[in-house]
Amino acid sequence: MSDPLRILIVEDEALILMQLEMLFEDAGHEVVGTAVSEEEAVALAIETRPDIAFVDVRLKDGTSGMKAARAMRDIAGLTVVFLTANVRMLPDDLDGAAAVIPKPFSEKVFGAALPFLEECVRRPPPSMDRPPGVRLAPWYLERIGLRAAQAAAELP
Amino acid sequence: MEPAEAWRMTDSLHAEHGKGDPFAAAIRATRMAMIITDPRLPDNPIVFVNDAFCKLSGYDRSEIMGTNCRFLQGPDTDREDVRRIREAVAERRDIAVDLLNYRKDGTSFWNGLYMSPVVNEDGEVLYFFASQLDITHRVDNELQIRNEKAAVERQVVERTRELTEALAAKTMLVHEVDHRVKNNLQMISSLLGMQARTIADPDAREKMRMMLDRVEALGTVHRQLYDSGNVTRFDVADCARELVTDLVHGSGRNEIRLRLELESVVIAVDKAAPVALMLNELVTNALKHAFPDGRAGKLVVSVEPDGADVRLDVRDDGVGISGRSIDPKSFGQRLVKTLGRQLGATIEWLPADPGTRVAVRFPNGAGKEPVKP
Repeated sequence: MSDPLRILIVEDEALILMQLEMLFEDAGHEVVGTAVSEEEAVALAIETRPDIAFVDVRLKDGTSGMKAARAMRDIAGLTVVFLTANVRMLPDDLDGAAAVIPKPFSEKVFGAALPFLEECVRRPPPSMDRPPGVRLAPWYLERIGLRAAQAAAELP
Repeated sequence: MEPAEAWRMTDSLHAEHGKGDPFAAAIRATRMAMIITDPRLPDNPIVFVNDAFCKLSGYDRSEIMGTNCRFLQGPDTDREDVRRIREAVAERRDIAVDLLNYRKDGTSFWNGLYMSPVVNEDGEVLYFFASQLDITHRVDNELQIRNEKAAVERQVVERTRELTEALAAKTMLVHEVDHRVKNNLQMISSLLGMQARTIADPDAREKMRMMLDRVEALGTVHRQLYDSGNVTRFDVADCARELVTDLVHGSGRNEIRLRLELESVVIAVDKAAPVALMLNELVTNALKHAFPDGRAGKLVVSVEPDGADVRLDVRDDGVGISGRSIDPKSFGQRLVKTLGRQLGATIEWLPADPGTRVAVRFPNGAGKEPVKP
């Protein structure tokens, strides 16, 4: 991989955190930090300046991944992707996050999601199709130029 | 003819001048309390009172005559009722009002008052005539009914609140359980996935990966059930789209093209898991055996309703049944057979020339439920 993504994982379930770390590193990316709480997540995001943060919505001691994501919005160049078992609890605009990957996810979903997200971050608009396991926020679709491309593709 | 004011002199039935007026005698003797006031005198005083009124109010005639009726009012008399009476007097019209009045001994009673002006030929109001009826019993009944109604309404409000809270608690519980089930499924697949990475033997690792696929297929079912917002219905097409796309992409076999022909079929929720697992087995099987040695090809998965049945087809243009090395006693094959039995399915393995077609057909249990109007 020419330009591996620098990734922050925010997940309070230790096993899932460990699995994600393995998945990302196997795919050649660099995990720059792992956090289990809101406070830790924000501090690490500021310190490590990752390209992508995968953020679980429910965090340790009842803290909120959504609040953490809100605090991360101001960090330049950081794309936030939610991981959650409660997709329906999220607002349509994902509260400023770019995408959401619903739990439970399969390893295959990440296998497809990582190259796609890498293109979204590094070379938008992405050339590959959006994998079924990833949902993008409307504002992000527009940001990476997918909305226009989609509209064009739907023309007769 | 007696003068018009003759009744004034007839307070006693034996009075000389009143004897000739049977109406005055009747009013004096009736059980209905009655008074007459004279609005032409200062403060509209009472100028006639019958015995029934004295009995009702507890006052002697001498205490009543010449006073204004307001002596009947007391601390709990409704000021608004009093205002309406005053208004009627000022406007010279009749009025009926239920009024809380007080007797001489301080006890209260509900007075069903009816008051009307007595007008002469010139339109001048000479008197006000008022009758009083003790309606305490009726008003008490009304109040009691009103109180009971209010109590019932309070109970309804309270019960509604309880039910609303119970529903909210139940909904929260369902969310919580859903969340935990998803998290647990995620952890099971995490464990399998991580363990698989560490297995050196390719065959054993492959088997662990296949087990991971099965757990992940169950995860897909659960996610789709709860994300749809309807936990009683399950669309096979939605499930197939996600599951099969995942499997083919996840296989890393870019030389195998996937074609999905999916028509929406809603099935009963108890069939969701076996259908997803069946689909997982059939597609995994095709990916593994139909295209050996990096052989390119096409995989077609179709889902469609067929009357009361659901049809599910997995078709490949690979090496064909004869070319496949399928062990009928393998775990995967036994799994397909068992799931088929649970679904009441017929499963046919057919040559597709080239390749193989697996045709599955099972009754759609969703139709058995009564249709709500």
